[in-house]
Formats: sequence, C-alpha cells, structure tokens
Amino acid sequence: MADHIQKYSEEQLVDALRLHSEKAFNYLYEHYSASLYTVILNVINEPHTSADVLQDVFIKIWRQIESYDDSKGRLFTWMLRIARNSALDTLRSKNFRNNNANLELNESVYESETVQTKVEYIGLRKLVAQLKSDQRSVVEMSYFEGYTQAEIAKHLAIPEGTVKSRLRAGLLQLKQIMNQVGY
Amino acid sequence: MDTKDYMESGVIEAYVLGLADAAEAAELERLRLLNPELNQAILEFEKMLEATVRAESVEPSRSVKNDIKKKLANEFKHETLPARARVIKMKTYWKNIAAAALVLFIASAVLNYYYFKKYIKADRAYSELLAETRDLQANNKIINSRLDQLQTNIQWMVNPAVQKIELPGVESKSQYSAVVFWNADSKQVYLLPNNLPPAPAGKQYQLWAMVDGKPVDAGLVENCGVLCPMKTTQQAQAFAITLEKTGGSPQPDLTQLYVLGKISS
Repeated sequence: MADHIQKYSEEQLVDALRLHSEKAFNYLYEHYSASLYTVILNVINEPHTSADVLQDVFIKIWRQIESYDDSKGRLFTWMLRIARNSALDTLRSKNFRNNNANLELNESVYESETVQTKVEYIGLRKLVAQLKSDQRSVVEMSYFEGYTQAEIAKHLAIPEGTVKSRLRAGLLQLKQIMNQVGY
Repeated sequence: MDTKDYMESGVIEAYVLGLADAAEAAELERLRLLNPELNQAILEFEKMLEATVRAESVEPSRSVKNDIKKKLANEFKHETLPARARVIKMKTYWKNIAAAALVLFIASAVLNYYYFKKYIKADRAYSELLAETRDLQANNKIINSRLDQLQTNIQWMVNPAVQKIELPGVESKSQYSAVVFWNADSKQVYLLPNNLPPAPAGKQYQLWAMVDGKPVDAGLVENCGVLCPMKTTQQAQAFAITLEKTGGSPQPDLTQLYVLGKISS
C-alpha cells in the first residue's frame, strides 16, 4: 500500500522501470492492470485466458520498456497496444480457436444486428456498442477482432474505401461519445 | 493540405488506437513535428482514451500480480530510485558547483600570481634590509671600539705626568701642526697627527726625538685612530716629523721637515 503514496508521472515511471525498480513495477501494476485487463477481456472475452494474457503483457512491458519511444506517444497508449496485440495473438492462436466456439458466434452478431446479451460489454467495447451499426461492425472487427480492412471488405462484401471511411467515421463518433460521457 | 480537415479526418484516432496503416502513420509522425496543434491534438486524444478505458475498467483477480512477480523475481533492483526531475536537479546542482569551483580556482590562481609577485618584492627588500643591518652592526662595532680607544686615550692624557708638546709647522709649512704627549714617568710617547696633510703614495711620516742635537727615531706615523702610540723616549729636547719613504729611514731628510716643537723644561 505504501507504494501508492508516491505518484509517478509517466516520465518518472518510465525512468524508474528502466532502472528495474521493484517499486515502479508495483506502481505500474496497481495503476494499470485494470485498464489492460479490460482491453484484453474486450478482445478475448474469457476471464481465465485474459488473466494469463495479462501476465504476459506485464512481463513484455517490463522487459521491453527500453523500446518505448515517447516521441511516438504516451506510455498508456503504448501499453494498451501491447495488450491489444497480445490478446489478438491469443485470439487467433489455434489453441484458443479450438477451445472456444464463441468466435463464430461473435461474427454473426454484426450480421444479425442483435446484441449478444451473453457477452459482457465492458471497457471501450461498451462505448463502441453505442455506434450506429455499420460503423460499429467495422470498428469492432478492426479493433477488437484484428481484421485488416481488406478482410473486412471481403467479409462484409463492401469496397475497401467504404470500410476505411466507415472506420474513420466510427472512430470520430466514438470520440464524440467519449466527450459526452465526460472523458 | 488543410490542417483542420486532416485533424478532423479521424486519422488521429486511428493512429492512437493502432488502426492506421504504415503510410498514414509515417505521414502523421512527420506532420506532427511541423505542427504543434496537431501534436497537441494527438496528445489530447491519448489522454481521453486513457481516462475512458480507466473509467470503464474491471479489476483482474488478485493472484495475477503475485504470479507475475514470481516470474520477474530476479529482475528487480531494490533501491529506491530518484525521479527524473531529481536526477536533472542533481545534474544542475553539480553543474553549479563545478562552475563555482572553476570561478574560485581562477580567482585563486590570479591571487596566487599577485601574492607571489608581492612576495618576491618583499623577499628582496628583506634581503637588502638584512645586509644594511649587518653593515650597521659592523659600523657600530667600529665606532664602539673607537670610543673605547678614545676613552683610554683621554684617561692617559689627563695624567699629570703627561706633558703636552706642540709641534708647529716649519717656515714653508706653517699651516701644519701636530701634538706630542710625553709621559715623564713612563717615557711613553703618543702623537696626535691632527693637522698634517695626507702622506702621498710611497711616503710616510716619521717622528724624531732630538736628543743632544742628534735626531733619534721615535716611530712611524701609522693610521692609528686618534692618539698614535710611538716609541718610548728616555729624554729629548725636541720632537720633529719628517716625510720619509714608506717604512722610514735611519736618518731624517731635513728637507722634508714638516713640524718641530721644543720641549719646555
């Protein structure tokens, strides 16, 4: 608990992590584990696997902190990207696909336009769900499913240009929703 | 290209979420360096994203942290480490100290040079002063010994047995004179050559006692201070001084007679 008392700015935290400070690790976990876990959960949608991925993500962040480039963006953004990518890798791995039938089910959600009540919408995905349907499907498939624009175009049988413009529009709309909620 | 359109195109949001392709990302990274407004807009969305994700997040189970820490156990360093701000402050702090030290060093070097020159001067003055003191001390010794001698002389002169015999200058040398002091008891003779010209090189004055018309050598006139001790003379009727060659002669050269005085009986 004493670790919470000191507040790190992102700069200070990065410096401390680079020096392999245990204190910095504790701080990192306490302040960011929930956010990263939620993104992973948004992608994988299964708590146990998500917890495993979370472990991998923290280990990756700890060991790859030297490669973080603050000119490209904030620490949070960088960590979120690692979390999402790790989750997508796991999602697409053969093991996971074999053990989880949910994936096929998720895809059909967009086609039928009914919200899967079994799937818990938390985190960012909760806000994306508020987008209008053609924007929502493109954003979900792109961000939470990891499909390329070409794959989405093929899957939805629409031109790539349309995919891109719907994606851009969807993201702008998402920002509006974030603003409205007060973020 | 219109910056406003670009910034409102959704490219910022795509980039931050990792949904921009390589070309779009490269272009944005290039443009942000040239455009502070764009740079700021990217930062703002990133902050908004963090706030959103954080607010909508759920906690993982407690065990996850320990599992991770077990795996990373060997990789922790346990010292508490300074924040970047403090490190920068320390560097500045030491920079200031270094600068101050440099200034002090230079000032010290300048002072050293100045005082060294002063020291050299003072040392020279001191050496000269020492030499002067030694000279004065030597002089002092001479003066003291002269005084002692004078004192002795005076005491001898005031003895009632001592007779004072004046030797006035002869015809062509009337400006010269000398005085002989003769102790009738001890027969000691002292000369006061107080009014004789300096002897030229190779010559020396000689005192003669006239005994029964014959001159008897009474001693050479040396550089003797005040009263010059001469040869003891048992009896004489007169004293005279001639200028002889250095070392004297057995007989006087009467052409070189300077002063002559009869003894009054």
